[in-house]
Amino acid sequence: MRLLDGIVSGVLIGGLYAVMSLGLSLSWGALKIINLAHFSFILFSAYIAYQATTTFEIDPFLTILIVLPLFFVVGALVQAFFHAVKVDEFKSLIISFGIFIILQSLARTIWSADFRRIGPDLNPYEAQAVFIGGVPLQIPRLVAFGAALLIAAGMSYLLGRTYFGKAVRAVAQDPEMARAFGIDTRRVAVVLSGLSTAISALAGVLVALGQTIFPELSVSWFGIVFPVVILGGLGNTVGALTAGVIVGLTAGAAHVLWGPLAVPLVTFIILIAALLFRPEGLITKKSIA
Amino acid sequence: MTGRTRQRRLGLILALALLAAACGAEEAGTTTTTAGATTTTAGATTTTAGATTTTAPETSGEPIRIGSTLALTGVFAATAAIHKATGEVFVERLNDSGGLLGRPVEWVLLDDESTPDQARALYERLITEEEVDLIIGPYGTGNITAAISVAEQYGYMIPHHTASLTYAYTYPCHFSSWSTGLHPNHTNPDLLYTALESTGTPPQTIGFVINEFPGTQFIAHGQQGTEEGGAVEKAEERGWEVVLDVTFPTATSDWAPLAAQVAEADPDFLYIAGLGVDAPNLIAAMQAIDYRPPGMFAQWPAPGPLLQAGLTPGVGADGIMAVTIFEEHPPFTDNPEVVEVTEAIGAALEAAGLPYTKVETQAAASWTAWEYIQQAAEGAGTLDQQAMCDWLIANGADTLLHGRIEFYPEEQNYFQDLSKIKQIQDGEWYVVYPEEFAAPGRSVIYSPGG
Repeated sequence: MRLLDGIVSGVLIGGLYAVMSLGLSLSWGALKIINLAHFSFILFSAYIAYQATTTFEIDPFLTILIVLPLFFVVGALVQAFFHAVKVDEFKSLIISFGIFIILQSLARTIWSADFRRIGPDLNPYEAQAVFIGGVPLQIPRLVAFGAALLIAAGMSYLLGRTYFGKAVRAVAQDPEMARAFGIDTRRVAVVLSGLSTAISALAGVLVALGQTIFPELSVSWFGIVFPVVILGGLGNTVGALTAGVIVGLTAGAAHVLWGPLAVPLVTFIILIAALLFRPEGLITKKSIA
Repeated sequence: MTGRTRQRRLGLILALALLAAACGAEEAGTTTTTAGATTTTAGATTTTAGATTTTAPETSGEPIRIGSTLALTGVFAATAAIHKATGEVFVERLNDSGGLLGRPVEWVLLDDESTPDQARALYERLITEEEVDLIIGPYGTGNITAAISVAEQYGYMIPHHTASLTYAYTYPCHFSSWSTGLHPNHTNPDLLYTALESTGTPPQTIGFVINEFPGTQFIAHGQQGTEEGGAVEKAEERGWEVVLDVTFPTATSDWAPLAAQVAEADPDFLYIAGLGVDAPNLIAAMQAIDYRPPGMFAQWPAPGPLLQAGLTPGVGADGIMAVTIFEEHPPFTDNPEVVEVTEAIGAALEAAGLPYTKVETQAAASWTAWEYIQQAAEGAGTLDQQAMCDWLIANGADTLLHGRIEFYPEEQNYFQDLSKIKQIQDGEWYVVYPEEFAAPGRSVIYSPGG
């Protein structure tokens, strides 16, 4: 039973990992922007969810209505800035790392370095679970997994079946040629950046629902998000979900089989193996990169 | 370049990016630290303390510069913020009451970014470049350990707050203000277990979940490479069956498997040898699977989040225990000066934006370390490091929050373990054991039957 518990728990948290990774994956794959600021967007969104919930005593899920449009605008503005200063893939890594550090310091200034947690009186979901065959499915994780499924399916449809998606793929494959065909590459990039940042903001709300937040928390996500992005394939929404589930599942199984100390080891073995043998990702068919 | 080659190249860059991410925060922080060295000087001011208006004695001469680092950024920043606020209150009050040896005091504070390497380098800088007159320890076991080695190298006396590897500090001029004694791996669990036995219904089985952090490993199993043992072995000595003994990584993000492991072991009592938010995270994960052991103990929790996890009546953290050296209630606050100081620190913590503003272990240890400095300098009548060190060893310290403290050189300057057991009851922390320190009307609540 414990192995099954570990696997189910891992699969569900894989959904959260996927939502956390999708924004970076889309940005990297389609816009060639390795936007490390996504980690800060997740953190800020978590803080805003915390602040809005505790200040206005509202349901934490309602904060999604605040953070999604807010961070869509933020993402669009950031991309407009990148576009204006003609940032390439490599410069984006450096600049966005700078933004990451600045935003982390800003979070520390606003909310202090101390730990913040939405109390159970305002966030009853954290301690709730549904049981299927005796196996607990925690509500925040179930929601995260459902969100990951919806986003993966929605973005897959958007990128694969719509005119906007065709434009995104064209921009990702050859921006000059896309421009020659009359695609407003700047507009496409700004909208996609807004979408990917909104997805990261959703991840922030999901984090705030189930974890204690503090400024340094964002650093700990590097070790999870990068393996998921690489394993899933750049810009591949279904791949990111699959990779999130694989990372979560193997971590959960490793915990049960070899103990908690094996978890980071297994995660990094996955990252190294992905970099060595499948740097293009597990699923390449749907990738837009 | 083929797509595959390009991806491989990107992969390589990614690996570099990951390394940069791991180290980069430190580099960026260094710049901030260098530019933002904080100095706190209140100078000669007139203050109103309590109901009495007093004119502060004038200070004169060159400021006495006290150097230290704190983890203003990085993983320890949450707790270091308490030490910063407490230190600032102490320095301000010290200056308001005539300074040190009649001179104003200036606190030169640098950011060690929560890393021992940085702490070591900055203490070297404080002593050799900044030429500070005195030093006080940083926050965090690793950082304190690094600072003590620098202090020893340059012959500086070093008071420090909350270092957990007590056995490692053999420098004759180190003075810990965290009154855990030299063997907290024995005295801490003995205190807890005696408290549990005082209920008349001690646990028959006990489970341990232990952070891989060296300090919590030391508490749980004793010094590595020795047979001395720790909390686990002490439980076995009492005949309690250890049904779970598992170590988890410091950076654990998924607590559900650990919660399931605890539920499967189903101990009468769970000993969480963890740090910061380990306990609230694990408790939340256990709540989600409708599991709660009859009793729990958290070694060094962040008091605020853990308290908050107990807001739901009957569930969460209500009943969980922890170790402390001070809490803001009688008998600790019987002295009006203690109340005045805790209120000042509480106000400073609030001004710093910290959500939990009550004075407990961290602030108390910090305050006491500053008192060591003051009393050593004033007692010796000089800033000579060896003279101050000798004076403290010979005379001990009269502390506001812990009373008289005598340092035992044969015990590496440690003194008796002054720890107490506190417990969350009705959504608040109260000391419940030993009885003479228990909050009025409070005692240990524990029953293996639930």
